[in-house]
Parts: sequence; structure tokens; C-alpha cells
Amino acid sequence: MATTRAVLRGKSAVFEREGQRGRDGLKRWLGPDYRLGFLFVLPIVALVLTLVAYPFFYAVYLSMTRKYVGVPPVFVGLENYWKLSHDGFFQRAVVNSAVFTFGSVGIKLVLGMGMALVLTSKIRFRSFWTGVLLIPWVAPTVVTALNFLWIYDGSLGVLNYILVKVLHILPQGVGWLSEAGTAMASVVAVNVWRGFPFFGISFLAGMKAIPGELYEAAAVDGASPLGRFRHVTLPGIRNILIIVMLLSTIWTFNDFAIVYILTKGGPGGTTMVLPVFTYEMAFGAQRLGEAIAAALYMLPPLAFVIIVLARYMRRGRK
Amino acid sequence: MTRRARSQVAGARLQSAASYAVLLTLLVIVIFPFFWMTITSFKNEDQMRSLVSMFWPSPFVTDNYRQLLGKTDFVAWYKNSIVVAVSSTLVATAIGTIGAYALARLRFLGRAFMASAVLITYLVPPSILFIPLYAQIRNLGLADSLTGLIAAYPSFTVPFVTWLLMGYFESIPEELEESAMIDGATRFGAFYRVVLPLAAPGLLAAGLYAFTQAWNEFLYALVFITDVKLRTLPVGLSTFITGDVYGWGYLMAGAVLTTVPVIVAYIYLQRYMVEGLTAGSVKG
Repeated sequence: MATTRAVLRGKSAVFEREGQRGRDGLKRWLGPDYRLGFLFVLPIVALVLTLVAYPFFYAVYLSMTRKYVGVPPVFVGLENYWKLSHDGFFQRAVVNSAVFTFGSVGIKLVLGMGMALVLTSKIRFRSFWTGVLLIPWVAPTVVTALNFLWIYDGSLGVLNYILVKVLHILPQGVGWLSEAGTAMASVVAVNVWRGFPFFGISFLAGMKAIPGELYEAAAVDGASPLGRFRHVTLPGIRNILIIVMLLSTIWTFNDFAIVYILTKGGPGGTTMVLPVFTYEMAFGAQRLGEAIAAALYMLPPLAFVIIVLARYMRRGRK
Repeated sequence: MTRRARSQVAGARLQSAASYAVLLTLLVIVIFPFFWMTITSFKNEDQMRSLVSMFWPSPFVTDNYRQLLGKTDFVAWYKNSIVVAVSSTLVATAIGTIGAYALARLRFLGRAFMASAVLITYLVPPSILFIPLYAQIRNLGLADSLTGLIAAYPSFTVPFVTWLLMGYFESIPEELEESAMIDGATRFGAFYRVVLPLAAPGLLAAGLYAFTQAWNEFLYALVFITDVKLRTLPVGLSTFITGDVYGWGYLMAGAVLTTVPVIVAYIYLQRYMVEGLTAGSVKG
């Protein structure tokens, strides 16, 4: 009895030692914290695989098929992309998207910079001003779009009322969203209204981090306010500036709700941007393959922006 | 006072006057749509149609709210939005918190790759994914259900929460955990008892943003849900657009009630949210 127990004890000790070595080997391969690490990232891996990676690759496949709702897809290679590149409506949507995106981002940059500069100057109640100016960013996008739909209203909207009856700037009201000449500017204005506070707050955070001595040194050297802005402020927030602009480019390019609610791409396609085009193609015309091809058409430049941006964001953390 | 000093004082005064002028202009631009939305919700149809007393309700009526709550599906949509936003926020914050801790602190194979993948997922826009994601949700048997939205929203809130909290965890000194572990705590214990309490403000900010994003989401809710009773607020509100004067009153009443929760949360927790916002995209 005693001997068997001793043998068993000996055996289990051997096992333990082997187990230990096995685990050390695993630790060498998989890293010292691999068990808790894998356990903790498992949900994210599952989520990204099922809800992002798989749909993405499925989308790439579908974009190469002729697919209608309720009918199995037929593989057609790059036909959808080829068709799109000769489709006048699609080309127009690409141009509109570019105008919408770069116009909005440009104006947001200027307004955001102004906001940040004003908030860093000597003012009272700074946190109150900062807090209030950030509200458009947290308010629901759909509410914003609906508010402006009502403000822009051609016959009863308050914008026309102010311009015609209060300020007497215009002789008569304008159909801001229904006239081809003003529709794009009007939707850009709403996107700017919603997005400029993010620029302002981010620049503000960057400016706060610039050491005061740099400004003092520049002042001693006789730099003008403009010179201080160019040689101290701008270089100091360079990284943030790049990150915010790239982030906003992605978000603005993919803004669906504002344009969809305000104009649905009209009048006559003058505000038809790609996300709305994709939606209409998929759920209006029910041509899924082409719709996805339209969504993925802009992937190469978008992927480029994403990769550059990801690099800057990671560097910003270190 | 020398002339130079005097001109400097005058310059500083001019500058601060200019600052206040800019601030006031921005303030009016930012506040006016909310002001307009609120007064419209208390106007009656006659007043709107006749363009009298534009900037104040006269008479002041609550008919729009009564109409909205009594005769439309608004209350059901409100409940749907709460269910979807709260559940998806809880899921996203839980998954994001442990994931962010692992990616920020633990050493294991594939960590750097995973961290990059999370960031890139955060940056990939929904307008590329919404059609195949809809197909996927349908495959899972979750089309036209709130569960489908609760399952889909973490696809964009989890990467955001994870990225935001990674920065937060990295800013907590590693020595705190090490000393806890020397005192006999396990790795998990050090995370749960030492790191998590310190990261509470970050968790709050991340959760608030996840909630706001889910509360505001429009595209997926528009595509995934066809049953009128199952709509969320943004989609429900947008179906009120009739192009008729009559609709604007209760539409704006609905807009007011949809905005209130996020604005109230924001006013109370502004400090965390402003911090979180800048930490999520950029760091000083």
C-alpha cells in the first residue's frame, strides 16, 4: 500500500514536472499571460469575425455577383464595377461625395480652429463655453437633420423668415433644399454644424498641451500673433490636426442620415452622395450586387486613409 | 504709461472683445436649432401657418405632445430605443473593457496584431458594411427584431470602447498591479480589484459614448427593422416627415423628447465625456 502510494506520488510528481515544462513551453510560444489574454480578447475576436470580417468578405464576393433579393447570386466577375464606372449617375455621386466631403471638412477645419483659438484666449467661464459649443456633437444626428429640414422649409421655414422679413436681405424665400443651386451648400452646412465642435475640442486639447514657455520665447523674439500661431501653435497640434482631418474625412464621406433625411439625394441628383446611392440601389432598386460594388468602389482610397490614420493614432498613444 | 504699454492694453482689450463676439456668434448658431425645435413643439397649427409671433409660441399649447404620446407609436419607439441602447451598451462596455485590458497590459501572442485590428475595425464605416451585415443578421434569424440591433451595434461600439479604454489602461501605472500580485493577488484579482476601480471614469465615458452612438444610430435601424412597432426613435421620427404643416408640431415634440436623455447625460457628465472624446481620437 505504502509503496504504491509512493510510486503514485513519484509518478504524479513526474507528471507535474512534465506538465510544468509543457506549460512553460506554451508560455514561451504564446506569451506569459496567454491564458487570461486569450480569454479576455475572445469576445472581441468572435465579434469582429462574425459582424465585421465575415460580412466584409461576403460583401466583396457579392459585389462580383448578380444578386437580387430572394434569388441566389450568380457570379459575374468585375461586371458590376465595370458597369458602374460607365454609369453617369454613379460618376455624379462620386463627384458629389467629393464636394460634400472636402467642402465640409475644409469649413469644419476653419471653424474648429477659430473655436479652439477663442477658447484658449483670455475669457471667463471657459468650461461653460466649451460645454455648450460641444452640444451639436452629442445631439442625435437625425434630430439635427429634422431640425434643419424644418428651418430650411421653403414656405414656412424660419431661415427664409429671418432673411426676408427680419433682415430684408432677400426679396423672397428660397427653397434651400429643393433648388439645385442651394441644395448642396445647405446639406454641407448641416454637416458642418454638427461636426465643427469635434474639431474645436480636439484642437483645444492639443493647444493646451503646448508648453507656455514656447509662446514666451516667441514673444521675446518679437514674433507677431500670426507668427506665434504659425511657428508655435500649428507645429504643436500637427498630429492632432492630421488625425482629426482624416477621421472627419472618413465620417463625412460616409454620412448617410443627414443627406438621406434632408434631400434623399435630390433635387435631380444634385446631392446624391455614395452612401445614399448605395442605399437606394440596394433597397429601392433591389440590385444588391451593384449596390455593394458601389459601396466598395471607394475602398482603395478609403483603405489608404484608414491605414495612414491608424498609424498616426497609434503613434499618438506612444 | 508708455505709448507701447497703452497700445498693448488696448490690443488685449480688442482681442478679448473679438473673442467674445466670436463666442456669442457660435453660441447663437449652436443653440438656435434647439431653441427653434422647442418653441415649434409648443405652437399650434394656425400659428405655424400664419407666421405670426415667429419666435415665441402664442398661444402656448401642449397639444403636440398629447398627440405624439396618445396617437402615434412614439412611446413604443422610445421603449425600443431604451432597450436597444442600454443592452448594447452593457454588452459593448463589458466586452470592450476586458479586451482593452488584455490588449493594453497582458503579454500574449498576437496582441499587437489584435490591437491594430481593433483600431482598423473602428475606422471602417458602416456604409460599407450595412448590406452584408443585414444578410448576416438575417442568417442568424435576428432580422426585424430588437435583438438583431442589440447584436449589430457592438460591431461599431466595441472597437470604439476598446480603443478608448486601451489608452486609459495604459495610463495607469503598472507598478500598482505588480505590487498587488506580490501581495498574493492573481492577475485577474489585480485587474478586478486594483485597475478596474481606477479606470471607472474611463468606463463611464466609454459607456456614455456607446450609449449615445446606439441611441443616435439610424442606418442599421432603418435597414434591419420593417415592423412599425419595432422601430427605434431616429427611424420612427424620420417617418413623421409628411411635407405637411400639420406634422411639424408633433415631429418637433418628438425631437425634443429624443434629445433630452443625451443632453441631460451630457450636462451631468460633461467632464468625463470631453475627456473621453479627446482620448478616443487623440491624446495630448
